[in-house]
Amino acid sequence: MTLGYLPGSGLLHRSHPLTTATLAAVVSVLAFLLPGPAGPGMLVLALCVIAVAAGMRRVLLTSAAFSAPFWAFLILIHGVIGGDFATAAALAGRITAILTVFLLLLGSVHPGRLVDAMLQRGLPFGLAYLLAATLQAVPQLQQRAAAILAAQRCRGLRVGGSLWRRARAVVPLAVPLVLGALAEVDERALALETRGAGSETRRTALEPPLDRPGDRAARWLLLATVVGAAVWRLLT
Amino acid sequence: MTVRLEAVSFRYPTAGVDALRDVTLEFAPGGVHLVTGRLGAGCSTLLLAIAGLAPHVTGGTRLGSVITLGQDPATEEGRGAVAGRVGLLLPTPWTQLSGMAHTVAEEVAFGPANLGWERERIRGAVREALRLVDLEDLAGRDPGTLSGGELQRVIFAAVAAMDPDIYLLDEPAMELDPEAAGAMYRFLPALARRKTVILATTDLDRAVLVAGRVVLLDAGHVIDDGDPASVLGALRAVEAGATTTVARIAQRAGAQSPLPLTVPAAVARFAR
Repeated sequence: MTLGYLPGSGLLHRSHPLTTATLAAVVSVLAFLLPGPAGPGMLVLALCVIAVAAGMRRVLLTSAAFSAPFWAFLILIHGVIGGDFATAAALAGRITAILTVFLLLLGSVHPGRLVDAMLQRGLPFGLAYLLAATLQAVPQLQQRAAAILAAQRCRGLRVGGSLWRRARAVVPLAVPLVLGALAEVDERALALETRGAGSETRRTALEPPLDRPGDRAARWLLLATVVGAAVWRLLT
Repeated sequence: MTVRLEAVSFRYPTAGVDALRDVTLEFAPGGVHLVTGRLGAGCSTLLLAIAGLAPHVTGGTRLGSVITLGQDPATEEGRGAVAGRVGLLLPTPWTQLSGMAHTVAEEVAFGPANLGWERERIRGAVREALRLVDLEDLAGRDPGTLSGGELQRVIFAAVAAMDPDIYLLDEPAMELDPEAAGAMYRFLPALARRKTVILATTDLDRAVLVAGRVVLLDAGHVIDDGDPASVLGALRAVEAGATTTVARIAQRAGAQSPLPLTVPAAVARFAR
């Protein structure tokens, strides 16, 4: 399972980063605006079509793997125990839709291009970097977690077996992961500062993303869809 | 003077003792200036103070005066003036990645792009910096797939691409294999003909071959400053845990100071 940027040249890779970011924001809002389970189901279906068209089928597998525990938990709590399978499907559908769209964003938008796009819109570098680095943090933490897990297993940690044993194995994984990430923050801040990240000079976009008429139209269409869905929900 | 510190003391926010105590030093332009001492002596903090990162980024309290390239780098005005003119290389390469680059070339271009250089100038600087560290073949690789040693060379290239006047190198060879570490040290004298290199390391067997001057720190205080033979060859350096392997062996063998620092120096000394 890969959570980071996946090089490619498909539909989403060619889009302006803000178009994909708008898609992620709009899907997140629609997931809650549209009535479940049909609304979130349609969103997931639409995202599947987009992923396939954009040559990012792998993202669907990752999304399915991450969504499966939510589906199991929600069906157990709301469906089997509560007898309300529709609510379980609606909630799980919302989670799947949001997960999928953010995985598409993560996989198709190069963080450098995202920062350049945000700087083009006048955002300060610090804020743009913070947003892009947050997206990048996921694959980096994933790599670090794999290394810590391997190290802990070498030292005898057993991560398989019963649910209780698996839960107990989380602590020796999570503590060094979090502490290590916090310790890195200081060094990264030092390195970024000396590499001009705090410079007041306007950053040069290495490959400034093109904002084509199609991108602008897509963003307006997405925003109109949200407004339309909100009005429809208010009226019905 | 490129750098001048006068009566500088520095304490980190949560520390009970000063990391630097009453340090007064000057660094002339050019040359490799070696700063050394046992771990915790304050060598890294000295580099951070010269760059203005202590206290600007680290927090803490600084007393005394630091002037780097004519400015106090801890002030707003000074930071702007030294931006891109002071390059810092830290020991662990993966914490220095920008997090915004998908290729080595983009990683190296991060600093020059932040300084607002023209694209053509950035491309030229990236090519030149990668050539310098012999990593032109890896320009298209994802930095996340490189070994620690390769990554450290990429970060060195990223610093070099900004063409700083001062290189602050904190344990630059820590992640390198012996051959690559030797290559990095051998390259420093050529660099120091054009730039000021301030090297903080405990890897004295290699550093002594390239340094023209040694500043010896102990518990944040300068206890000696001079040419390598006189500083690292003194018994005080042995007591401070900062001398070469050859000097330690010579001292145990009963040699008197100044101790020989290298194998050729030891051969010459004992052959007499």
